[in-house]
Amino acid sequence: MAVSSVPFASPAPQLAARERRLALAGAAFAAPAALLLVAILLAPLIVLVLLSVTDYRLGAVAVRFVGLANYAEMFSDPVFRRAIRNTFLYVAFVLPAGVFGGLALAALVHARKRTRSLYEVIYFLPVTSTLVAMATVWQFLLHPSLGPVTPLLAALGFGRLDLLNDPDLALATLALIGLWQLLGFNMVLFLAGLSAVPRDLYEAAALDGAAGAVDRFLRVTWPMLGPTTMFVTITTTISAFKVFDTVVVLTRGGPLGATDTLLYVLYLEGFHYFRTGYAAAMTVVLLAFLCLLSLLQARLIERRVHYA
Amino acid sequence: MLTRKEFLLGTAAAAGALAAPAVRAQATVTLDVLHAYPSFARFFTPVAEEFMKANPGIRISFRQILPNYDELHQALLRGALTNQLPDVAFSGFNRLPELARTLSARNQILALDMLIAAEGANWAAENFSPRMLALGKVDGRQYGMPFNASSPIAYYNPELVARAGGNPDQFPDSWEGVIALAAAIKRAVPQAMGLSYYINSFDSDWLWQALVQQGGGRMLSADGKSVAFAGEAGLAAVRLARRFVTECGMELIGADQNRQQFATGGIGIIFDSPARLAVISNLVGGRFPLRTAPFPITDKTNGGVPTGGNAAVIMATDPAKLRAAWEYVKFSAGPLAQKIAVEMTGYLPVNLKALAPEFLGRFYEQNPNARSAALQMDRSLPWEDYGANGPRIHRVQQELLTAIMRGDLAPEAGLARMVRETEALMRAV
Repeated sequence: MAVSSVPFASPAPQLAARERRLALAGAAFAAPAALLLVAILLAPLIVLVLLSVTDYRLGAVAVRFVGLANYAEMFSDPVFRRAIRNTFLYVAFVLPAGVFGGLALAALVHARKRTRSLYEVIYFLPVTSTLVAMATVWQFLLHPSLGPVTPLLAALGFGRLDLLNDPDLALATLALIGLWQLLGFNMVLFLAGLSAVPRDLYEAAALDGAAGAVDRFLRVTWPMLGPTTMFVTITTTISAFKVFDTVVVLTRGGPLGATDTLLYVLYLEGFHYFRTGYAAAMTVVLLAFLCLLSLLQARLIERRVHYA
Repeated sequence: MLTRKEFLLGTAAAAGALAAPAVRAQATVTLDVLHAYPSFARFFTPVAEEFMKANPGIRISFRQILPNYDELHQALLRGALTNQLPDVAFSGFNRLPELARTLSARNQILALDMLIAAEGANWAAENFSPRMLALGKVDGRQYGMPFNASSPIAYYNPELVARAGGNPDQFPDSWEGVIALAAAIKRAVPQAMGLSYYINSFDSDWLWQALVQQGGGRMLSADGKSVAFAGEAGLAAVRLARRFVTECGMELIGADQNRQQFATGGIGIIFDSPARLAVISNLVGGRFPLRTAPFPITDKTNGGVPTGGNAAVIMATDPAKLRAAWEYVKFSAGPLAQKIAVEMTGYLPVNLKALAPEFLGRFYEQNPNARSAALQMDRSLPWEDYGANGPRIHRVQQELLTAIMRGDLAPEAGLARMVRETEALMRAV
């Protein structure tokens, strides 16, 4: 036993040492990325959460711990509640319209042969334009007496509408502009997804008796687009939640707060009113919403997504 | 082999060699200067050039210009935290108290009283009216030296006034007169607005304060601690606001949209800063002969107009820079710099000597549109400051004013709510 145990005993520590060396090397390779993650994402996140339980104002010398008071104030603050409502309304419109609109556009453009690149460029142009510059154009287009939109709508029998300055219409107008900006991007993503669907699947489906475009779409295209749809849904949700630039340039939250959105109110609190602590608490809430929604969508969709 | 001593000596020599040019360069001092509104570069740059010509040892270097006073204020607060403050900044009057209080608690701003006293007993009195200097005072100390000052004026389209049967050479000096004229314009040219007084979309509460102050009211009590517009003057102001819509055909659109529409001949009268004279003249182009008039003041004894604009504050700490900064600030508030700034914008001159014929006297003779602002110089009241919650209070007030103008809220109820919410926000700090 004593003799035979020696050859068996010696490789084990050797193996462990080797593994440790490998693990160390691995850690060394991962360290820069991990450090960056900590420095750029995790550390600021911790600071954010810490700030959210203080009454810190930008530039103040003294800071007081206030516990959850910021969070309590937030949920009784009519402006914040209004911003939540508006943001959800905005997402509720832009998300389905952006995803299904992008899909519909992609399906239509995909079927074109010679004009395909032309349509791609047309729909992708809004994505490449700077929104702040475009907003100036929108401001002119929607000007109730100088722009062409109001007379056009009046000629169509809608009466004299002021799309940006009417509290009942302003949010919908911003949502349409947001959609205009988003559709092209989603279309390109879906086009990429469509190109990846193998031809033979359609032939197989035809042999199995799938007749007509609707059948082909429902049985082959749509399931095969699962991963793309999931990606598009999550990115669209996030960008719809982050609606900000159109609000700043076109309405500044008005009229009557009809276009106050989460990110805009957060910006006002943090960078105009300098209530850094309160704004930090709002950011934590926004972050929680985004994480929760993304997780939920990933869970729900992942169950049905079929990775080819 | 290099010994430690040799190494130290070597590096010290290298460091010395590197530092030498810096020592020589100290002959010229470079000042970091920050101001708001990119269009203001038109006069900040020539003023700086004139200054550098007169003071060859000092160089002015402008930082990236910020879009407005609020963003300038933020940048300064951020700079205070990271120790990257400019040497001189031009802070908006309405943000100056907040800035001075925050930065003086951190020892990062200089009170100018000693420097002014050192200029001699008569210097301040000879150059500035006490009202003008008071605009730069916070808690009794002179933190800012006024540079640009303005109060709102009327811009009108004489062709529309004439079509309504009014006299373009005699703009009304009371608000009843203005409303009558604007209503007549609306009747004569139904597709135009008679007037637009865009407190619903203006980017500060300046125009709203003007409407209260012209009627003899004030926003705040003398000690700045309680709301003072709950009375007659406030009520008269909100009633006027509603009448602009009901009687003068005003529509509630954005501030820029208003200026654009006015420039195309679609509005009879607007009210805006004289600093926008050049901008609005350019927008109008040759479409009609643009005219301006002093802001109508109903209460001729107690009425006035809030003074907007900016004051130079010094944040430099290095003694050489500090001396240079004071020279620059003094020059900016001096007659030559004022002549340059006023001629390009329509601002009021802050310096009494600037009115002399060799500076601005001729200019006013040749440019009557620029004179409106100067004519109401003795009507200047401070742009009242609600304290740290000022921007938030403005947003709440603007919403209530919009609701009153739309007719969603009766003027009386709207004013009562505005007073209540303003008081609550003032206490909340």
